Amino acid sequence: MTAPVLTVRDLRVDFTVDKRTVPVLRGLSYTLEKGRILAVVGESGSGKTVHALSLLRLLPPCADIAGGEIVFNGQDLLSLSPSALRDVRGNKISMIFQDPSSSLNPVLTIGEQLEETLRAHRKISREEARRQAAHLLTSVGIADAEKRLNEYPFQFSGGMCQRVMIAMALALSPDVLIADEPTTALDVTIQAQILGLMKALQQAAGTAVIFITHNLALAAQIADDVLVLYAGLCMEKAPAKELFSRPLHPYTQGLLNSLASLSQTCEELPAIAGNPPVPGENLPGCPFAPRCNKAFDKCRACLPPLFEKNGRQVRCWLEEPK
Amino acid sequence: MLRYILRRLLLLPLVILGVTFLLFFLTQRLSPEMRASLYVKDPRQMGSLEEVIRKYGLRDNVFKQYGRWLSNVAHGDLGYSPSANMPVARAIKEYLPATIQLAFVTILLVVFFGVWFGSSSAVHKDKWQDIAARMFSVGGFSLPIFVLGLLLLMIFYGKLGWFAPGGYSFHTDMVIHGGAFKTYTGFLLVDALLNGNMRVFGDVLSHLVLPAVTLCIGSFALMVRVMRSSMLEELNKDYVRTARAKGLPETAVVYKHAGKNAIIPVITLASIQFIRLLGGTVIVETIFDYPGIGRFGVLAAQQLDIAGILGFSLMVAVLFVIGNLLSDILYTAVDPRIRLD
Repeated sequence: MTAPVLTVRDLRVDFTVDKRTVPVLRGLSYTLEKGRILAVVGESGSGKTVHALSLLRLLPPCADIAGGEIVFNGQDLLSLSPSALRDVRGNKISMIFQDPSSSLNPVLTIGEQLEETLRAHRKISREEARRQAAHLLTSVGIADAEKRLNEYPFQFSGGMCQRVMIAMALALSPDVLIADEPTTALDVTIQAQILGLMKALQQAAGTAVIFITHNLALAAQIADDVLVLYAGLCMEKAPAKELFSRPLHPYTQGLLNSLASLSQTCEELPAIAGNPPVPGENLPGCPFAPRCNKAFDKCRACLPPLFEKNGRQVRCWLEEPK
Repeated sequence: MLRYILRRLLLLPLVILGVTFLLFFLTQRLSPEMRASLYVKDPRQMGSLEEVIRKYGLRDNVFKQYGRWLSNVAHGDLGYSPSANMPVARAIKEYLPATIQLAFVTILLVVFFGVWFGSSSAVHKDKWQDIAARMFSVGGFSLPIFVLGLLLLMIFYGKLGWFAPGGYSFHTDMVIHGGAFKTYTGFLLVDALLNGNMRVFGDVLSHLVLPAVTLCIGSFALMVRVMRSSMLEELNKDYVRTARAKGLPETAVVYKHAGKNAIIPVITLASIQFIRLLGGTVIVETIFDYPGIGRFGVLAAQQLDIAGILGFSLMVAVLFVIGNLLSDILYTAVDPRIRLD
């Protein structure tokens, strides 16, 4: 295994709501190696997007990184000066977002938005940037690139916009790509195309990817490793194949059971009962305990640590080494 | 685009007919004698009143009189204005450029400072820059224009003597009515520059400053608020986050990305205010005795100068339609999603 490009250690993020501090991310740790895809899976409100934004320090003003370290190629991103951080953003670590049509500026041409990314990090002429931008558009499968550079986002479909975002994110061959639900706003056939494109480009360039999704099936398709996030805590982290063939945590098991399948016929989709805890709700024990059918007294009283087991991690008292 | 412009221009005659007929109809509430008496300066000529009424057909039915006025207008004759002592068309030609000049300088100031203060207010939300800009804009908004105008006159003319009120200096009058001064545009500020006469330029400018500042304040307050809220809204949009994630410098994120979107409502407001200024600098022109079209309109109204009033309204209607058209065209330059057709 190569040295990790990105190491996240005990990352904590707090939100300030009505002068009250609400922990949203409660100590997240993982490492990411070159060329690997890590899927971060969780329900809405589990902290997955907050985690993605905090990596590039793009959090809204009400959010605050309360602790931890984000080490990228040996430097701690949290202690970088604004200009050093700008040098990392879009250049070494880039990001694509959930809603492609609103993530592009409506009044600037596609070409301008691609070129400014290139010119923000490389000393190249306008003509050169233009040439490279056209090349990038072609590489994400947009025909007639020269002409389309002069068009505006509203002249592109959602899938096309996401292709542009991918071209923009991969323009400078970053070491890490953060993809925050990149296919959620797209319909299923386009989803498959975009995923295929991302994977092809990622493998060609050896980019490491953090793929954020609420869709377990999607994570199974694309990821090498999966990290399951619940209420701001890592519940389980394992290689994708192992996680799907043998989920350890009751939450992961519940998620997998609730996937709709065409081959199975069942009366009712087995959903996990109840709702995830509201951020800030103070549970002394495991945050999943109230919804867990295997919970016992210890679960409700005491938060389990992450237990290491055969290269996997799981936060459940049931997996406590004897 | 061209078709859109033509279609909008076709609307012009309709607007003009509507406005002028309404006014014409209202003036008919005055008796023919009253309307005729305007043209009779000397009480000894009162006997000739009937003659004037007959000569201009003032007893004819409304539509006949209106038709006569309209056909004169079509021939470029807007009638004679007793209040200005010259034909209405010549009065407009003489006074309108001064008002356009004043409105233009005003709107430039409003947009420049409004956009500047508004965006800095949004960027530094709840910091001292924001609080200062908001306090200033509330203050400016609640200060009546005539109070502000008189205050400025008292301070800068009365106490400090920095700027002059009233008509241009004797020197300027001499120069611009002398043969050597060429009229290129009708706008004195531009013409003075083109003639290379800096003394006239300075004098004209010093007459512009106080009225322009007075007109500014109210519009400026509104502009700051619109720019601020529009900028705040844009700064929360997804594409701003994208721009930051790309590693662009913060100034490019704010001014290029958010700014270009936030400016769109400012254009609407600025064009509405510009058009309003053209017909509505009445109070300020009166306070500062500024030789513009607003002062002409007031005099015409005060003296029941019907030809003057009709001419003034006709001009405002035309400017209104053209101004709206121009602001529509301006939109397409900023927002690619808008296409005129």
